[in-house]
Amino acid sequence: MTVNMKKKLSESILDKFSIDFLRSQVLKNAYGNDDTVIAKLDPRVLLAWYLVVGLVPWFVSDLWFLGACFLLVLVTTKLARVAGLVLALFAVGVFSQTGYLFIVALFFGGDVSTAAPLLVMTLKVATCSLASVTVFSGLDPDRLSNGLMWYGCPERLSFSISYAYRVLPMLMEEFQNILLSYRLRGNPPAHETWTGKVRYLVYQVKIIMQAFYPLMLNTAKRSRTTVEALEIKGYRYAAVDKQVKRMKLRTLQVTTNDFLFLALSLLWISLAMLGSALF
Amino acid sequence: MNAIEIQNLTFSYPAAEAPVLRDVSLTVEEGDFLAIVGNNGCGKSTLCKALNGLIPHFLVGDFSGSVKIFGEDTLGADVGALARKVGYVYQDFENQIVRPTALDDASYACLNYAMEDYEDRGREALALCGLQGREDDYVFQLSGGQTHLLALAGAVSLRPNILILDEPIAQLDPAHADRIYGVLRELNEKHGKTILVIEHHTEYIADYCKHVLLMRDGGAAWKLPTREALQRVDELQACNIFPPQVTTAAERLRRAGCLPASSPLPTTVEEGKAIFSALRYRGAGKVLPEKTEAAEPAVALRNVSVSYRSVKGEDRKVFRGLNLSIHKGEKVALIGSNGAGKSTMMRLMVGLLKPEAGDVQLLGQSILRRKTEDLSRTISLVYQNPEQMFIQDSVRADVAYAMRVRGEADWKARTEDLLRRFRLEEIADRDGRLLSGGQMRRASLAIGIALNPGILLLDEPTANLDIATRREILRTLTDLKGVTDTVLIATHDMQLVCEWAERIVVLCEGGVAADGPRDAVFGDRAVIERVGIRPPEIFTMGQALDGRALCYTVGEFERDFAEA
Repeated sequence: MTVNMKKKLSESILDKFSIDFLRSQVLKNAYGNDDTVIAKLDPRVLLAWYLVVGLVPWFVSDLWFLGACFLLVLVTTKLARVAGLVLALFAVGVFSQTGYLFIVALFFGGDVSTAAPLLVMTLKVATCSLASVTVFSGLDPDRLSNGLMWYGCPERLSFSISYAYRVLPMLMEEFQNILLSYRLRGNPPAHETWTGKVRYLVYQVKIIMQAFYPLMLNTAKRSRTTVEALEIKGYRYAAVDKQVKRMKLRTLQVTTNDFLFLALSLLWISLAMLGSALF
Repeated sequence: MNAIEIQNLTFSYPAAEAPVLRDVSLTVEEGDFLAIVGNNGCGKSTLCKALNGLIPHFLVGDFSGSVKIFGEDTLGADVGALARKVGYVYQDFENQIVRPTALDDASYACLNYAMEDYEDRGREALALCGLQGREDDYVFQLSGGQTHLLALAGAVSLRPNILILDEPIAQLDPAHADRIYGVLRELNEKHGKTILVIEHHTEYIADYCKHVLLMRDGGAAWKLPTREALQRVDELQACNIFPPQVTTAAERLRRAGCLPASSPLPTTVEEGKAIFSALRYRGAGKVLPEKTEAAEPAVALRNVSVSYRSVKGEDRKVFRGLNLSIHKGEKVALIGSNGAGKSTMMRLMVGLLKPEAGDVQLLGQSILRRKTEDLSRTISLVYQNPEQMFIQDSVRADVAYAMRVRGEADWKARTEDLLRRFRLEEIADRDGRLLSGGQMRRASLAIGIALNPGILLLDEPTANLDIATRREILRTLTDLKGVTDTVLIATHDMQLVCEWAERIVVLCEGGVAADGPRDAVFGDRAVIERVGIRPPEIFTMGQALDGRALCYTVGEFERDFAEA
């Protein structure tokens, strides 16, 4: 029973790391959650909110305040229905930043008092990361880039963001097929023994690096059409046309929901500060 | 008024030895539906790019002569102004779509040219192209045919009076192809658009186009009304264009004296009914082959279920409890509409994809626990897109790769042998991606059989090829006899199916809808209608003349209807 489960678990971990899975996660992350509360907010409001929640915690050490911020972004992340892979990356990221220090400290004879400052640091990192996750993966790339444009980011940047999301799935599929070519025709070292496993890992890393060369050439071939099509579609004209920018930004609209969202966030943080002052 | 007037146009790309277009003069009237035909590399695409101003404004080179669009010289206009008069849909249309949702992409050009009503224009274009109700769909949710319609909508939204499409149906099943041409016909007849298509499928030209332009060696050989043009059988064949099968059959029968010498040649099945009416069917009718003892199964799928993750909502089931055995020595064609699971099945067989439930067996052994690279001596897959098989910097290195890394003793000699067999010697040192379509296919076949696999799987080996190159691939497949005896081909190309396959497997709705020799599959009208496949035109012609007739090639038709 347990052997079977173990096998299942290892299989599912392998399965999770296929490029196919990455591709579906990227798509899910970008477009799979456009009907959430967060996605419907005005991107400018959300960016402003991000500036506060993502920046202020760095300068405050009050545990009440940090805890409240952390809970707040936890809720917004939940509301944004962020893809599993991003959350997993977040967890690994936070741990590798500070979490391991905590364990190391305990190991070398530290106690809970060592943990307190580390906890503060971890809370700060976690809060800022989750705030970023909410904003950058809760909004679809297009709304995000429109929001950035309103704050004066150049048109080229905002186009790049939404175009990257358009081509990324295509690129990943292409990359996957090239890797499959290597798998079908290659001859990886046997990996039953421990040294074999190391050699196999080295082999795989080498293959992944080699696969970039055909990927680049195939992409270059594809992009010939894209460049011509962009020219026909007037991309170059639009980049210098103020009128076009105005038309694009006209779609942005602040609604009552946005005010509600800001008000609730503010209320929650004020309550936390009140709590901190009282106790 | 003339939509297009070209006078003595000559163009060469920089650093090219010879001009691509030589002294082309051509007029196209407003409201025409013109098919442009010609050999690969005869300048068809270049001509079309000269019409929307990409040449000479964006792609520079030596340009002389003049191109006028509704009286305006393209030299004096810029690409932006011309884009509103001439819409262009590329052959690799998916690279032309730059925005995430359908409405966004359809209205993108209008937004860029600062048209206040850009959204309305986008909606209108989507409706014209039959994509109403899909405005908010993401691009990756659309099927191949719908993506093509979206690329068309992106061009239509600027309300150009001329639309140019480069090989619009090369990768589509018949149902999707009909839909594209149906939309084009409506744009042409109801909305008065002038339409130009580069097209190899003469059956579609006969059904939809008004005129045909033949390009030869960079020049315009002639422009004639479709019926007249398609009757010039010899001239077309000399340029590797194959007229509709009914036309070819009639031409041969006329030459054999079975039709009067003065008889016109039919270009569609409808016309064929009248012209062939005097012919009598003399064939043997349906011959059901005797059941032979099945050889041992080479590949077997047992109760296989597969589904794909989708971005939203339910996962998509591709197969539900599917069973299929391919036996040693069989030549099997795998057919079905776009998305029926042909490629998925091939990936299952080589172990690139694991089924959710069920078992995949190779020579009687389950492959689920085996490593993909161990299977490659037994079974090999040639992708639909040959570019993805080129992982080295020359054709020679690519052919040698699998043998070299496995340390085959005579890999050098075998590589040279394969290069010779597939006529790749002259191009052996070039990068595979830079070859022509036919050369790329040949190279990918050589790569596919390098390890001498007993079973070969080919995914759409003739997609995007002109008919001459398709014939060449067919010849190469016949040559494979003795190297690999079991071959499975997934394809939409019914002529290939009928000329080559001994067994046909039809996939539909997650299972096998029909399985058997061609008479059993194409002879069963109920199956054909249910799964949306279409037999070759000559088969339909034979059926229209006599219900007993089952002819799959022009040669068979000629034999069975030889005497009046």
